[in-house]
Amino acid sequence: MGKPRVAIFDFACCEGCQLQIANLDEDLLNLIELVEPVEWREAMSEKAGQIDVAIVEGSITRAEDEQRLKEIRQRAEILMALGSCATHGGVNKLRNRVPLEEAQRIVYGASAGMPHLQSGQVKAVHEVVPVDLKIYGCPIEITEFSRIIRELAAGRTPFVPNYPVCVECKLRENVCRYEYNEICLGPVTRAGCNARCPSNGMWCFGCRGPVDHPNINAAYDVMAKYGKTVEDLVGKLELFCSGEERIRG
Amino acid sequence: MSVYKLNMEQLRNWVGRLIAERPVYGVRQKDERFVFGRLKKPEELRLDYDVTILPPKKYILPTRENLLAYQPGEHYESLWADEPFVLLGVHPYDFVAIRQLDLLFEREKPDEHYLRRRRAATIIVADVERASDNVFAGCVGTAVVKDAFDGLLTRVEDGYLLEVRGEKGEWLASLLESPSPANAAELSRRNDVWENNRRRLRKHELKVPPEQLGDLLRRSVDHPLWEEKARLCYSCGSCNLVCPTCYCFDVRDESDWSLDKGVRYRVWDGCLLEDFAMVAGGHNFRPTRAARYRHRYYRKGLYVPEMIGELACVGCGRCITACTAGIANPVEVYNRLQEEPHEDDAAE
Ligand code: SF4
Ligand code: SF4
Ligand code: SF4
Ligand code: SF4
Ligand code: SF4
Repeated sequence: MGKPRVAIFDFACCEGCQLQIANLDEDLLNLIELVEPVEWREAMSEKAGQIDVAIVEGSITRAEDEQRLKEIRQRAEILMALGSCATHGGVNKLRNRVPLEEAQRIVYGASAGMPHLQSGQVKAVHEVVPVDLKIYGCPIEITEFSRIIRELAAGRTPFVPNYPVCVECKLRENVCRYEYNEICLGPVTRAGCNARCPSNGMWCFGCRGPVDHPNINAAYDVMAKYGKTVEDLVGKLELFCSGEERIRG
Repeated sequence: MSVYKLNMEQLRNWVGRLIAERPVYGVRQKDERFVFGRLKKPEELRLDYDVTILPPKKYILPTRENLLAYQPGEHYESLWADEPFVLLGVHPYDFVAIRQLDLLFEREKPDEHYLRRRRAATIIVADVERASDNVFAGCVGTAVVKDAFDGLLTRVEDGYLLEVRGEKGEWLASLLESPSPANAAELSRRNDVWENNRRRLRKHELKVPPEQLGDLLRRSVDHPLWEEKARLCYSCGSCNLVCPTCYCFDVRDESDWSLDKGVRYRVWDGCLLEDFAMVAGGHNFRPTRAARYRHRYYRKGLYVPEMIGELACVGCGRCITACTAGIANPVEVYNRLQEEPHEDDAAE
């Protein structure tokens, strides 16, 4: 078998996850040794036919995007969702919490009616087509991305943690944010970022989305112990997880 | 065995000489808490700490440890770390925990990676000066240790007493400048410290005699407490990861960009984590939160004691502090099992 043919596609997002890949520096050369990039708007102009791995970044917000995504799915052996916008709808999904017209008015003001600004409900990639592999994070962790690509290329099932950020946070010996009476989403958020935020003096705001079975009911009960209210918690959970039904206790 | 008296300046100079000789890992402040870390100068050492976030076992069973380097299909080479180092300021309960790990890693199939690091370690125990919020070492017989260490430091009014033992202890003593032996009054003050620590390191009072815990647990498999507590459990593993007697690890491979070279390493794991008991084929033999929650108490109070003859909770209290849900207190759990007996349990 030759090198896997890989293509990157972007939808509604800030393209920060692609930028992480572009920022690989010398490892970008190593990456290109392993895979053959065949389509990547940010870095090349060619268009490919059949592809082995389609990497999809961003949320799906318009009917024509759904169509485009379905076509990509048909061309791709493996479809990988890259970053929170793709895996969960990310911050984009905040928009689904208010009526569409209102959201458009808030964001675009007087131009809200322009045809090119029309878009619908925000969806994560898996809400439109089947997804084979998710790379979490806002933005993704480039070391994790590189490792997963190597594991795929070596023919192994990539390891993606299904344990909370607390695991990595404890291993880094951070003082827990709860000891400062702050709410941290670490106990329900999927690890893999090496507890980036608590290691820098910030609570985790859940950018990687929840673990497979987050105990959200516990989170609500635990708030009382810290003199916090459910609203305090919901406000934090909504930033990145507003589309996840299972976070509503 | 010999016991020396060191004033504060002698202590500082001695630690300075240790640092000049070998890597020394001692207790340092980190934000509002304490951690073991590499000491660069004696002034960083905080023997007056209450408890460290992670236990000092991290230098013998590192959080991540490379086991071997491989080339697929070709060969592999074990990776060893046996450079001598000093662990300075280990509290007695953490030292008891290391002694338990020694037994566990020596039995059946000896774990050569653990044992080599262990042999490379010179361990200086320090008696507790400041009790942490949740310590209960006094209830489980780990407030004081009397043997098996290389050095033991005890605070007495104007300095420290240093007891040394064995070959490594002789090396420690050889780095003292003009060593003066402790006198009888000082030794008796050390006895007072021990008596006092046995009494005061009891922020929680275990009402079950440790030797009866195994039977109590055998009767409590179906106790409603497990469900009640596990309802609040995040399965975050914090209670495992901070525990000085937990020793489970996961083994993973990571290849480099060429894909034909890589390392196999192990990382700390914990039985509270959802995928801990996941085996090939995707079967999880401890799929419920309650089963995982219960397991830790059985490990500490029944299964490990059956292997080594000692309670596998040394009363450091770290799990109590680390659990953001407030449900990980072994004393509370064991006391409740005793106070609210659950009658219709079949034996296991
Ligand atoms: S700071 Fe957050 S992630 Fe870290 S241990 Fe505490 S709750 Fe978990
Ligand atoms: S700590 Fe939380 S918010 Fe920060 S990078 Fe990790 S998952 Fe995202
Ligand atoms: S179970 Fe808790 S108190 Fe007991 S040794 Fe482990 S961390 Fe310390
Ligand atoms: S089984 Fe659980 S309690 Fe026991 S050592 Fe492993 S992680 Fe710790
Ligand atoms: S620390 Fe508490 S919430 Fe986390 S796994 Fe342990 S018992 Fe459950």
